[in-house]
Amino acid sequence: MKKSIVLIGGILLLISCGRFSNKSKKGGKERIVCVSKQLTELMFALQQGGKIVGVDLSSTYPPEATKLTTVGYHRMLSAEGIISLDPTVVIHQGDIAPPYVMEQVGNVGIPIKVYPAASSIDSTKILITLLGKEFGQDTAATRLNATLDADLAKTDSIVKNYTTKPKVLIIHYGRAGNQYFVMGTKGTANEMIKRAGGINAADTSSFRNLSPEAIMRAQPDVILATDFGFDRVGGVEKFLELPGIGLTPAAKNKKIYRVEEHDLVYFGPRSGKNILLMAQLIHK
Amino acid sequence: MTLLKTVPYRSIYLVMIVVLLILILLSAGTGAVDLSFVEIIDLVKHRLGFKVSGSINAIHEGLFFGIRLPRTFLCVLVGASLSVSGALMQSLFRNPIVEPGLIGTSAGSALGAAMIIVFGNSLMLHSVSILGELLMPAAAFAGGLVATLLVYYFSASLNKVNISIMILAGIAINAIANGATGFMAYVARDPQARSITFWNLGTLSGANWQAVIIVSFSTVIGFVLALRFAKPLNALQLGDDEAAYLGVNTERMKISIILVNTLLVSVATSMVGIIAFIGLIIPHLLRLLRGSDNRYLIIGSALLGAIIMILTDMICRVIIAPAEMPIGIITAFVGAPVFLWLLFRFKNNREGGFYA
Repeated sequence: MKKSIVLIGGILLLISCGRFSNKSKKGGKERIVCVSKQLTELMFALQQGGKIVGVDLSSTYPPEATKLTTVGYHRMLSAEGIISLDPTVVIHQGDIAPPYVMEQVGNVGIPIKVYPAASSIDSTKILITLLGKEFGQDTAATRLNATLDADLAKTDSIVKNYTTKPKVLIIHYGRAGNQYFVMGTKGTANEMIKRAGGINAADTSSFRNLSPEAIMRAQPDVILATDFGFDRVGGVEKFLELPGIGLTPAAKNKKIYRVEEHDLVYFGPRSGKNILLMAQLIHK
Repeated sequence: MTLLKTVPYRSIYLVMIVVLLILILLSAGTGAVDLSFVEIIDLVKHRLGFKVSGSINAIHEGLFFGIRLPRTFLCVLVGASLSVSGALMQSLFRNPIVEPGLIGTSAGSALGAAMIIVFGNSLMLHSVSILGELLMPAAAFAGGLVATLLVYYFSASLNKVNISIMILAGIAINAIANGATGFMAYVARDPQARSITFWNLGTLSGANWQAVIIVSFSTVIGFVLALRFAKPLNALQLGDDEAAYLGVNTERMKISIILVNTLLVSVATSMVGIIAFIGLIIPHLLRLLRGSDNRYLIIGSALLGAIIMILTDMICRVIIAPAEMPIGIITAFVGAPVFLWLLFRFKNNREGGFYA
């Protein structure tokens, strides 16, 4: 191996012609690469968005985040891509692949910070406090948590008055032909449905592809379709024509609504308001 | 279209070696992070203990020695492995459309590796560290070998390999192996499943020195053994019986070549995933260039395979930078049309089995 390096070095000397330009280094400033959608939103909420130089593909809120350089899907990262943004730190929540990428990034000397994945309201508040402390935004963090608590309390008081408990199904449509990617009874979306005064109609615990028959069997009163699938199908009328959907109570009463995916898959400062919106939507 | 019929083999090898070396240098500098030649020289000098005039960017140093360089070497080794294997298989089956993917070797290896990804932790074999590192290549080897032997067993009858049965058996074995890999992906816990699916398209981004060392063993051993079979393989082109009259122990040779081929393909596959078409196209290009002597095909495949692989991987790295594309996508997009073109030529020009 040493020999080959010497060989390469020798030839390099012979033909070096400065074909590639050197990248200039921006000194002093913090440069954060954030490969977790929840962290991205929280960082922006804590006024730290300006420090972020790169995000993963799924970080779509706030809109400013979509203007940043993306380093690829968070399950298919490349070490070089992250390193090329010259970050001072890479932050994530463990939900990344391939697993060797962070090892590679760490080995070149870029610090990596792993934050816990916050899948409940309480852990989200702890995460907000933690981030606030680390980035010197304690007051902002306290304010965010207070707003979240207040929103949730308001939501609870409104939800209490609803007499019905509609069965809700949240569907990501359009990943594969007539497969309905459904949010199961574990996880953030389920918690949101519960707080919004509904019941998750999915009879599966995890995220899973369900067939049209399984959708029909679930008999949801309301279907929430995420932005990607809904826009691709092209509206409620088109959605009604999909196999399996037409045989549900939701279709009969035309209770199929579009929701933003990034409002449902993790908790954040807006969750209180989002749950209220969802509660009003499913009790319409 | 045999362009270089009169050019000596040595000159062809020399040109390829020079091109390969230049590409290694280019590849070491290309990627999401651009390294200039001057900077690379400084990094190498620094690592070898010489004084460097400018300052050393520690991150670039880590990137170059920890990611870029092993990746480049892995490219060379995998490209050589797959192409040599393609050359061996095409000569063994006396058919120019055979490639490791077609007769089940790659899919079998993928299945073997997928089983380790899913069940590896529960086997408790990781407690032995050396075995742990070699577990995946070993399982891939076993899977690839079983698949290849099955296809061979079905297609070899009465001392002759029936090509159409071989292709059909290959399709069936591939379907079984792919189905089983799909099943593994379905029962696997989420992160594991993702590594199986992405691994099916192949990527060199996980390269490290350990992978380079493991694959270099299989490549060098496989290449040396393959060269020993060059002459008997030439005899085999006349036919099984004729080769036997010339003093070749055909049955033993066939089994040995299948073993060598499986070693080459499965170890490479276990490290980088399934990379299609390289093994098919490279020997063809070489035949078009100069001829069908197996010694030339084997040496040429090793060199040209490495060249094409480095080029393709460079494309993967820059085409959607700073993200990265799986290499299997590029090889399929480039390889499949070339394959169709070859079939077209083959259709219109069937004076001989091979277009030598």
